[in-house]
Amino acid sequence: MAAYKRQFYPGTTTPAKNRRKVMDPKVKLKKLRDVSMDDVVRLMGHRNPGEEYKSIHPPIEEGKEPNCPIRKLVEPIDGAKKGDRVRYIQFTDSVYFAPISPYQRAWMYLSRYRGIDTGTLSGRQIIEVRERDLEKLAKEMIDNETFDPALTGIRGATVHGHACRLDENGLMFDAWQRYIWDKDKKEVVYVKDQVAIPIDRKISVGKPASLNDLKKRTTIFRADGVDMRDDKEVTAYGLRIHKLRTLGGYQPFNVKDV
Amino acid sequence: MLSESTVEYAEIPLPEVEIFSNAMLSAETTEKVLNALEPIENIRQINMTGEGIPRNLNSGPGKGLPNNHSERKTITVGGREVELKYLVGAFYVELDVENEEMLDEAVGKIRSACESAMPHGFSLSVGRYSKYRKTLRDYR
Repeated sequence: MAAYKRQFYPGTTTPAKNRRKVMDPKVKLKKLRDVSMDDVVRLMGHRNPGEEYKSIHPPIEEGKEPNCPIRKLVEPIDGAKKGDRVRYIQFTDSVYFAPISPYQRAWMYLSRYRGIDTGTLSGRQIIEVRERDLEKLAKEMIDNETFDPALTGIRGATVHGHACRLDENGLMFDAWQRYIWDKDKKEVVYVKDQVAIPIDRKISVGKPASLNDLKKRTTIFRADGVDMRDDKEVTAYGLRIHKLRTLGGYQPFNVKDV
Repeated sequence: MLSESTVEYAEIPLPEVEIFSNAMLSAETTEKVLNALEPIENIRQINMTGEGIPRNLNSGPGKGLPNNHSERKTITVGGREVELKYLVGAFYVELDVENEEMLDEAVGKIRSACESAMPHGFSLSVGRYSKYRKTLRDYR
């Protein structure tokens, strides 16, 4: 029997291909900007740059771990080894052709990273990891192509805005105005951290992408972009799951001829 | 609606014009639109809707801190000061008209006023979008 080859997502249209791309851990996502690590730490607001990591338990090597086969089997992530706190970053993605949407974020995170806990809501996606691993992950997520300055927000609370019309500068609505539009540079600049506490410097995350570019990069099916119904394979896959779930409940394997 | 109506219910369903903006409007543009609508006759009242902007942070570790949102400010409309608490997305203009000709004329004026003040575009429709007489909720 041939070895199982992992599959990610069906379909032939651009959003389907992009979904496959973000989920496949072998694909390195394009880096579009470089926000410094200190600025990423400031944006999250869990500690000050340069400050020691606070810990919630002694380093694993020091403490006496119980004799557990699973613990021997699983290599702990860096932060777990050192006993870091679990902290979070949360992204909000606009429905207006944001490069990625929350549900695919969950797929992407779970497919690409270890030792994480992620939660999906309609417009936002939280990810919880040990602090030092979180910082690396957050920097990657802010720097790479799944982030757009105008359509992705770094928001810990009061995330409302993903389904609102964009404002006159093309930015997603934010009741707490964590980021502002720099008219002269035509860039998006963060002035508050993810829970809207003012930060002492302005952090630029660069220029928003054009609509044409976003339509090529997005994982979102939209009636005014690529309609999901135009992708036969994606539609069939959705219908199949729906049918199996409806007819089979928790025993989809018992449903025949679907 | 933005706040409690300052105008009494008309008790009859007067026509309303819904001006639905393509973009959420900044305070500056909102001021421009309102001032462009202001001289038009037959306008009985204007209501606005939009996304709320709190004065202070209402949750999270920074709860209570001032929000300092640049679009939450006082604008001047026809010499009167109006405190904006929302990023405005739509206007509902109630018209005090007696026949179709008066209505068409007023709608035409509103459309041209909006065309000059709203560069990001809007859609405009005539109908009735809010209450025009008291209901049970008004007697609480």
